[in-house]
Amino acid sequence: MEHILTWLIFLPLIGMVAVLIAPSSMARGIAWMTTFITFLVSCTMFGPFLPGGAAWTGDGYGKAMQFVHQTPWIHVGNFHINWHVGLDGLSFPLIILTTLITWLSAWASWNFDHWTNNKGAKGFFALFLLLETGVLGTFASLDFFLFYIFWEVMLLPMYFLIGVWGGPRKEYAAIKFFLYTLAGSVLMLVALIAMYFASGTAMGDPGNSTFNIIDYAINAKIHDYFNDTTTKFLGWTFGRAMFVMLFIGFMIKVPLFPTHTWLPDAHVEAPTPISMILAGVLLKLGAYGFLRVCYPIFPEAGKWAAYAVATLGVINIVYGAFCCLAQTDFKRLVAYSSISHMGYVVLGTAIMTDVGFQGAMFQILAHGVSSPMCFFLVGVIYDRAHHRDLNRFGGLWLAMPKYGSLATLGFFASLGLPALCGFIGEIWVLLGTFNAGFPWAKPMAVIAAFGAILTAAYILWMIQRVYLGKKQEQYADFPDVTARETAILIPMAALAIFMGVLPKYTFDLMNGTLSDIIKVIQGS
Amino acid sequence: MTHALLAATPLWMPSAADLQRLGPLWSLAGTIVAVLFAALLVGRNYRVAGAIATLGGVFTATLCWRGITGGAVPFAGLAPEAAAPMLVVDQFSCFFIFLISVFLVLVTGMWFMGLDAGVPDEAARRRDAVEFFVLFVGSAFGMALMVSTSNLLMIILAVESASLPSYGLAGFRKKHRPAAEASLKYILFGAVTSAISVYGASLLYGQFHTLDLMKISTAIGSQGISVLTGVGLFAFLIGVAFKVSAVPFHFWCPDVFEGASIEITTWLSVASKAAGLGLMLRIMWLLSCTVQSADAMRWVAHAVAIMAAITCTVGNFSAFRQTNLKRLLAFSSIAHAGYMLMAVSIIWQPRESAAGMPHPASSAVIAYMIVYLLMNLAAFGVVAMVYWSTGRETMDAFNGLGWRNPLLGVVMATCLFSLVGLPPLGGFITKYYLLIALYDASLIWLIFVAVFNTLLSLYYYARIAYAMYFVQSDEAPVRAPAMGQFAVLMCAAAIVLSGTFYAGKLKSFSDQRSRDMYGAMQPTGLRVAERPTADSMH
Repeated sequence: MEHILTWLIFLPLIGMVAVLIAPSSMARGIAWMTTFITFLVSCTMFGPFLPGGAAWTGDGYGKAMQFVHQTPWIHVGNFHINWHVGLDGLSFPLIILTTLITWLSAWASWNFDHWTNNKGAKGFFALFLLLETGVLGTFASLDFFLFYIFWEVMLLPMYFLIGVWGGPRKEYAAIKFFLYTLAGSVLMLVALIAMYFASGTAMGDPGNSTFNIIDYAINAKIHDYFNDTTTKFLGWTFGRAMFVMLFIGFMIKVPLFPTHTWLPDAHVEAPTPISMILAGVLLKLGAYGFLRVCYPIFPEAGKWAAYAVATLGVINIVYGAFCCLAQTDFKRLVAYSSISHMGYVVLGTAIMTDVGFQGAMFQILAHGVSSPMCFFLVGVIYDRAHHRDLNRFGGLWLAMPKYGSLATLGFFASLGLPALCGFIGEIWVLLGTFNAGFPWAKPMAVIAAFGAILTAAYILWMIQRVYLGKKQEQYADFPDVTARETAILIPMAALAIFMGVLPKYTFDLMNGTLSDIIKVIQGS
Repeated sequence: MTHALLAATPLWMPSAADLQRLGPLWSLAGTIVAVLFAALLVGRNYRVAGAIATLGGVFTATLCWRGITGGAVPFAGLAPEAAAPMLVVDQFSCFFIFLISVFLVLVTGMWFMGLDAGVPDEAARRRDAVEFFVLFVGSAFGMALMVSTSNLLMIILAVESASLPSYGLAGFRKKHRPAAEASLKYILFGAVTSAISVYGASLLYGQFHTLDLMKISTAIGSQGISVLTGVGLFAFLIGVAFKVSAVPFHFWCPDVFEGASIEITTWLSVASKAAGLGLMLRIMWLLSCTVQSADAMRWVAHAVAIMAAITCTVGNFSAFRQTNLKRLLAFSSIAHAGYMLMAVSIIWQPRESAAGMPHPASSAVIAYMIVYLLMNLAAFGVVAMVYWSTGRETMDAFNGLGWRNPLLGVVMATCLFSLVGLPPLGGFITKYYLLIALYDASLIWLIFVAVFNTLLSLYYYARIAYAMYFVQSDEAPVRAPAMGQFAVLMCAAAIVLSGTFYAGKLKSFSDQRSRDMYGAMQPTGLRVAERPTADSMH
């Protein structure tokens, strides 16, 4: 299994073909099996990333890349585009997260016929699997062109998944999602072309132009050329222009204020499993882009933009939390809470320190576990009540005791209660910000910490309105969570506790790579 | 003046070898004659007429393919002096004629399919098949001429002989009022632009005493561009701009596309543009064939770049509110002509090196053209099949198509998103090659225009996808001929493959064609060493 990573990326695609060939009634089973096998395969790749493993040496960024598969794809004239995939401590945890969440959402799609009158099961599951291939490919790509291709491959399935199988305003939400993301990606495309040519110029020979993301960061010639303030692009400093274009592309995906408005719409209209993937995996791609592309390659621009980026992060935290307080739609509330939580990731990234990066990365994973859980919890109650109005719920804990307990756990994880996953990431980011060398960092840390109070406010208020209070007539006969629903919730709940109580094991996976990236940044 | 010219020209007969080199042109001309004579022999038989057109197309394509791959089809001139030929059949023109004749065969197939699927005016179609195919192959012949000449007068003749049959084809449905209107608009526009074009040519001739582009170019190189030359060039290029439907000479395009029957729309959307762009490439290339003339042509090229930017922006904005699919695709084809013109506008920039690197711009246009052909064929094919089944070409005929005929829905969606330029489809990779060429030529503002337009175009292409998948419809399933479904499916597969596994193949193929252009169009009397190189320009 030399090319296990390539297989992993294309496993869902094989499943997709199977879904298209097999009869419609088997679609969900095939999708479940495919995502499960993909998850298992990704689990077999843990070895090198455990302490003492091959990927754990930390002897330089990109040096300990695992499962690398590199082979020419488009090699014509001056073009050198490779199929180049590999994993390090940055991408591997996200790969695991993706395969896990996708598997759980495939399971969450089990009652597909229930919410869609069984229309187009084949199409749904085929696109679902295509989406997984796109996400895995993006996380694994080490060739920027390939990264872009996979990045865009995710767009179409998502557009159709929201637009065909979504809620009442699905068309609006789908096209809004599509246009916003594409607006970001075309800027990324320009940056990609510019960087390709610039790398050739830096190497002194157009024949040496490269799309290798790692080389951009560690090849001294390229790195110096990219971060030299005398290199120009349209009269701008090259590195800064590229940073801004890439940043806009990624920030739309995160999503960062003020480009966040597509997210609540997309979430509210998307069916539950798609919301899970959207929140759990797709948002992480933007943050991953920052950590993989923006900061290691353009640290000079990163420092230049730190204040602005951190401000946006803080705005996200506080503004998202305030928005949550104003929501009456359950799912919209969870969507805005995603915005608020992703603000911590951006803040942690912006300060460019070890602790900040670790906190950001941990927050990515923590939110990747807690937010799909929250969305699924909302989905569970929506399946029964067929509405999501917070003010019309009440006393659900009494009606559905098991559900109430799991829900409280999930939302507390999202709130950032100590001993649950959300806490570690937030506190790391806040500590890092407080200690960052920037003069503005301390006030920002204070404001961001203030956001945590707001978070507690909206979550507790929501729990009070939905789960506490008197048992209501119309909800009294709701069945408690089924075995399938429990099975979906348990892995996420377990991970939330595990990551909160023993964060060391999660940090161990990624710390080596993150400190390598910090070395690259500081070395410039 | 004319008298002196005639006196200086000795009586001249082309050699047998010269005539042989014109094979593709003979073949198309022969097809026209054969269709006419067959009608005399066997009467009005639509099958015979169509079969002859198909055979002619296949034969021409074969000849061209041999010309392309054979390697040694040199610069051939059908004129007394080899240095100033009237006709040029080289690998470059062979490639474009190949594209045109393959498309001729495919559209003929579409025409036959329409008969079986029950188009409204079926009887009239069968009856008038002979005239139809004469005009049809005739326009193909004109387009083939367009890409095989470098002489001002011959260019005008070629454009005319491509246009005249097209006017007839646009109005071929005599009883159909929009068709008549379309044809009239087409004629008026064509007449005005070709008159301007002739005027421009006369200005150029008056100034340089030659009709040969190469000589004009050398003269421009030594004298620089005067105002008169500039006016002459622009006036002349308007005739070509009309053919590629560049803004502001595009107004005929939506009406003609809407009024003409769908086979003709398909034909014009690809073949006419291919020929126009091939011609444009050759003109721009020849006009900038020395260091000095390339430098002088800089401003003309900038004007073309601006026209390209306007063309694709206007095309995309106009497509926004269209409800007729053919009209929408007409505007989309204007936008795509704009993208390709962008590459044409940088052809003046010398990019040749000792290693024989192909010009990225011409290579990009060729790759784009190939994928564009596939995308339009499949998209129009689906529109045609929906039309045959429902009798409508409007957006509402597409409501719920994804459920009424899943295969057509998937094919159409593939084409649409490839037209947007989304990876991993062919439309993306070719647009990427184009952007790379623009970047290489330091036209970064044009890159921003192109990507901004990509974003614009998403909106209206997605509207069709929206109708196909998001809108509920309880109309009957769309029944389509099996052959047609198979054909569009193959196109869609080719679009996907050209963006993934064969992206490199596509690039190296178009690079090779582009290299041919360099090799074959090497101006006689100018050595490679005298040609501008990238270094000499900076």
